[in-house]
Amino acid sequence: MKKCFLFIVLLTLFPTLSGCKKSATDGNPDEMVLYHAIGTKIKGLDPGDMRDVYSMMVGSQIFETLYQYHFLKRPYQIVPLLAEEMPRISDDKLVYTIKIKRGVFFQDDRCFPDGKGRELKAGDFVYSLKRIANVKYISQNWSMFDDKIVGLDEFREYTRKCKKREDVDFSRLVEGLQTPDDYTLVIKLTRPWPQLIATALADTAMAPVAKESVDYYGRDIISHPVGTGPYRLNIWRRGSYIELVRSPVFRGELYPSEGEPSDVKAGYLDDAGKPIPFADKVVWTIIEEAQPAWFLFLQGKLDASVIPKDNFDEAISGTGELTPEMKKRDIHLKKYIDPSTFWLGFNMLDPMLGKNKSLRQAISLSFDRRKFIDLFSNGRDVIAHGFVAPLMDSYASKISEKGYARFDPDEAREKLKLAEQIHGGKIPTLKVSMPGTGTFYRQFGQFTKSNFDAVGLDVEIEYMDWPTYLGKLKSGSLQIFSSGVKASIPDAEDFLGMFYSKNWAPGSNSFNYKNIRCDELYKKIEVMDDSPQRRELYREMEITVLEDYPAVFINHRVAYTLRHGWYMNYKPHVFSYGLSKYRRIDLAKRAAYK
Amino acid sequence: MNKLQKPAENIYQKGRSLWSDALRRLRRQKLAMISFVVITFYVGFAGFIYLAESLDWNMQTISWEEETGDSYQPPSVKNVFGTDIFGRSVLRKTLYGVKISITVALCASFISLAIGVPLGAIAGYFRGVTDDVVVWIYSTLSSVPYILLVLAFAVVLQNKTIFGIKLTGITTVYLAIGLTSWVGICRLIRGEIIKRKESDYVLAARSYGCPTMRIIFKHLLPNVFHIIIINFSLRFVGFIHAEVILSFLGLGETDRPSWGAMINDARIELSRGVWWQMAAATAAIFFISLALNIFGDALRDSLDPKLKV
Repeated sequence: MKKCFLFIVLLTLFPTLSGCKKSATDGNPDEMVLYHAIGTKIKGLDPGDMRDVYSMMVGSQIFETLYQYHFLKRPYQIVPLLAEEMPRISDDKLVYTIKIKRGVFFQDDRCFPDGKGRELKAGDFVYSLKRIANVKYISQNWSMFDDKIVGLDEFREYTRKCKKREDVDFSRLVEGLQTPDDYTLVIKLTRPWPQLIATALADTAMAPVAKESVDYYGRDIISHPVGTGPYRLNIWRRGSYIELVRSPVFRGELYPSEGEPSDVKAGYLDDAGKPIPFADKVVWTIIEEAQPAWFLFLQGKLDASVIPKDNFDEAISGTGELTPEMKKRDIHLKKYIDPSTFWLGFNMLDPMLGKNKSLRQAISLSFDRRKFIDLFSNGRDVIAHGFVAPLMDSYASKISEKGYARFDPDEAREKLKLAEQIHGGKIPTLKVSMPGTGTFYRQFGQFTKSNFDAVGLDVEIEYMDWPTYLGKLKSGSLQIFSSGVKASIPDAEDFLGMFYSKNWAPGSNSFNYKNIRCDELYKKIEVMDDSPQRRELYREMEITVLEDYPAVFINHRVAYTLRHGWYMNYKPHVFSYGLSKYRRIDLAKRAAYK
Repeated sequence: MNKLQKPAENIYQKGRSLWSDALRRLRRQKLAMISFVVITFYVGFAGFIYLAESLDWNMQTISWEEETGDSYQPPSVKNVFGTDIFGRSVLRKTLYGVKISITVALCASFISLAIGVPLGAIAGYFRGVTDDVVVWIYSTLSSVPYILLVLAFAVVLQNKTIFGIKLTGITTVYLAIGLTSWVGICRLIRGEIIKRKESDYVLAARSYGCPTMRIIFKHLLPNVFHIIIINFSLRFVGFIHAEVILSFLGLGETDRPSWGAMINDARIELSRGVWWQMAAATAAIFFISLALNIFGDALRDSLDPKLKV
């Protein structure tokens, strides 16, 4: 009996023990697998309600949009993806006619008859947009289309009257969304929207979803993505692992044959004209801590990695290049400006902060941005003198001369005295909210506190988890908050929209900022095509906002990304997520890595 | 004759009390006395920090916020344990951590004793339904793994306002630990009271018409007090560890240095070769843990009547 028990225990242990030796990159050596790490759990893979970067990183491999950014060309250029060609735009810029590719199929799934995916039709785009407009669906993407498409707001009002989700009739006509035939989509706008293609038609929100899949899976659709993209979901262990496999019904696409002149030398055009995707599988392991991901990268179990701040010296030498050890491992470095801005925002509805510009100025002058960047990003980032990120066309290169990001504790004390006069006494303890409880946020909180303390400002730092923080931010109940944004299009409109009063929280204007001049400028800008005049208005609006000090703008991120020598076609792209289809693995190199 | 009288004198010599005998035996153990000195230093230093802060003494030793060098400077004559990310002295942070740890351990101990001792005594004395209810409560609590229970309490209590007092930092920590760690002492006291409630002195008190609560708290509890003291000394170190764990997990002190928060920071700093913050916090925990364990063992031996010689 004892022997039998021992045998059973050994049998049970055997797979576990053998599993210990097996590495993440083991498996079929001829199978091309891309191994990535992702820093947080994925909320859901439903494009209609997808807005966060992490969901988009995965979702963009499964779903496709009408247009996409060219993989290699710079400046960034929009090209058709599901669309046959660029849209025909009417003279009054109100009607967009888009021809849709034929022979595009939804991935095979049990929601379709016999499990075979059907062909994509123009009606799927109309359905997907109506779905976002449906009040019962509560999509966070609605603000993108609010008051933009003829009849869509009326459709939204209609859904408001429906008692249940199931009662909504999606066959109800919307004047601004028409399909003369199965392969033509006509969008009628209420007013010109020059950013329509970049902001909406190339955004994952507009990825077509089959009505069959929504009806079949109901609320569980977030776990059952059915798109038209090169990959389909195979395994999703929430909180730990995501695996996509090549979709057998993908229509096929060719690797771009054109790019920048330097792309030939960099080898980005070696695969020109070849059918994509190259990889058979794409895998994401969810690793919340930066260091374990870093160690896996060094072991060759991840293809690319960012550099954690505490491992920066290990990877990068004093000259800003890779260390000899990294070069010996055939690791390559890519540096690029991420179009992002981070700040400590002020709630302008706060009775003390909102009415006291001197106080806001004092806080801004007390914050040592250079030291922050040195301590928290190894000196990599760029000081944010304004809020428009450097990559944008409208970025004012001489904005630093205006001095909005000055660090001057003496002047801060002077401003504080003025602020106390305005307030009528000592400034009460200020509350700064951090969107996390980990080491980074605790150290960031301590840094902020020491800066404020140095000029005589009392401050209390509140640390909260992400959902709590987000809830409070959206309800406008935070006084000072740490936040940031990454542009989704190569245009500063994303940044300027944050200061438009129509976008008050829960919209993107978390500052609850309002300035009549800014609102006028934004309304003007919104309907203008890109031009030098428009960029000048952008700059004017930025300066107008900065004069009011609605935030302490801190830094623009500069990304340092490492990749192994076997990870090919790794050209950074800051506005696109669906890039796995271009990546290729040199399997021999990977197998030889020790 | 004289020779015969001496033994008779010895026979009638006055006996020593449990406490004086325990003290005599404790003094004989040198290691225990050294440990006692270490504990006294820690507790005394924590008290000193409280005093210095309340009287606004501007003393360098406790000015942990002051920058004493560049970021991440290794140990040197100027900074014995080096500096942290902000160039603050790790030694000063470690010393300040004494206050946090001792405060948490003391407060948590008192809270757990304040709940566990009366509940155990009442359950043991009255038995019946009262006993059933108390046993049911502590059995339920003890069925949940301790650290998960503390974490759950800490998460629930964090940033809550109770009776107008906002629970933040160490207040949350010692409340969470105190409210979850009374089961052990409650069980012990209950058992002792059950054993002693039929003793002659209790029967005598009862026959004199002494009120029940007076019997429990005036006659029975002083006779089991040595158990409380032993338990207190042995659990004290556990509470320090619990504080370190909670701070490590980001549920403890956030604005001031604590050993757990220091270890948490040091965890990611180790890969850049910054070992001194981890070493300093670990050493501080090591010495107080060792001292408390040695002293607690010695105290148990000294107060145990069975080991009386």
